[in-house]
Amino acid sequence: MKTGVLALQGSFYDHVQSLKLIEQDYVLIKDTSDLSGVNSLILPGGESTAMIKIQENNDLFSGLKKLIESGIPTLGTCAGLILLAKDIIDGETSLGVLNTVVERNAYGRQNQSFEGLVDLLGNKEMYCFIRAPKILSYEDSVSPIATIENEVVGVIENNIVGLSFHPELTNDNVYLNWLSSFLKDGVNVRSL
Amino acid sequence: MKIESTFKIKKGLAEMLKGGVIMDVVNAEQAVIAEKSGAVAVMALERIPADIRAEGGVARMSSVETIQEVIDSVSIPVMAKARIGHFVEAQMLESLGIDFIDESEVLTPADDKNHIYKHDVKTPFVNGATDIGEACRRIGEGAAMIRTKGEAGTGNVIEAVKHMRSMTDGINKIKTSDQNELMSLAKEIRAPFDVVKEIHELGKLPVVNFAAGGIATPADAALMMQLGCDGVFVGSGIFKSGDPKERAEAIVIATTNYNDPEKLIEVSKNLGEPMVGINIDDLDEAEKLAKRGW
Repeated sequence: MKTGVLALQGSFYDHVQSLKLIEQDYVLIKDTSDLSGVNSLILPGGESTAMIKIQENNDLFSGLKKLIESGIPTLGTCAGLILLAKDIIDGETSLGVLNTVVERNAYGRQNQSFEGLVDLLGNKEMYCFIRAPKILSYEDSVSPIATIENEVVGVIENNIVGLSFHPELTNDNVYLNWLSSFLKDGVNVRSL
Repeated sequence: MKIESTFKIKKGLAEMLKGGVIMDVVNAEQAVIAEKSGAVAVMALERIPADIRAEGGVARMSSVETIQEVIDSVSIPVMAKARIGHFVEAQMLESLGIDFIDESEVLTPADDKNHIYKHDVKTPFVNGATDIGEACRRIGEGAAMIRTKGEAGTGNVIEAVKHMRSMTDGINKIKTSDQNELMSLAKEIRAPFDVVKEIHELGKLPVVNFAAGGIATPADAALMMQLGCDGVFVGSGIFKSGDPKERAEAIVIATTNYNDPEKLIEVSKNLGEPMVGINIDDLDEAEKLAKRGW
């Protein structure tokens, strides 16, 4: 069992740190050849425009998309959510596998970035929202799993989870326990 | 409950820029080229360092119009430079909604003794450093990101390498010291004790550390990444070269694939002329920007 962490740019080492804490094997993904043997995926925060550009030449996203569509557990945080979403306001669709409409930088610029008390699957924790994307709407096949002040900031659709914040910068036990079961069992994990 | 601009949030934006390239731009047109080439952020400034060097005079914060124009033209984070110690320029950049302030030695310093007290500004700061002591002093003042100073506007990577190696040596020394030695070490390197203690506990800097000053080719960017930097700033190297777009893209790809010589060869083909560059030995001491900052 090996988790692939997209490592084109961004906070991928922070996700690697989470994986080390739950003793999960991982591989950094920079190229299509890194995808073999991967049975769960993490798409980190960073700049989505840069990630899209960097993979362009070797078309890494086609391989990534096939892998996600095969049903392996996939987590995207912040920019990772943007890469997953089907419709993007103020940006381009890349993987387009999660039936949501997401707006980039919708909470404002860096001065409006904040730590906020998030209800993630029933547990409350302070998480970082950094020039975060907003989940504007989602299809019926998608369910909310995280909210802040009644606004949805995290969703799940089958094997795919998208969060607009950064649990990898907090690495609290509740998140790590959830991550551990999600990466192993994926779709079966609906609650804590 | 929401709390804005905590130190974790300031530091967090720098974490998101890791593995990326931040490019100097002087107008909206260059900012768009930078974003399309895969830059993770742009640095808005009036003149790029090579021109500041050539033209001389006092270099200050960019015009409000330039900064506004750059903010409006791209969706990636926008940084801008304030003079060392010029806290009013910083207050203005904060009000303009800049995402990161670079308190930069490339501009003419406004204070010969003090840097800005950065904790009170909502916007995060990046500061240059030549060694671990300087990095600790800036972090103590509230910097959320450090970069090597290098020697901006020269297209010569030697000073950035020197600063990065010196930083790594300093971190190793703090890491391997006995805790009884930390106060004496802090005194020796003129660093705040708390920051030294934090580095001792973490085994690394508590904030992200980028390379800057003299990076002109994909190989330079990869060199700095292999030396342990978290990402790179490219100033004059892009828009002073023969084909800025090609070179910008190549440096971005090289920064991601810094350990892959085949990819580095691939992106280094047909790049056109790099910026000409200056030998550091040809500079008078007074012309060295890295000496600014205290």
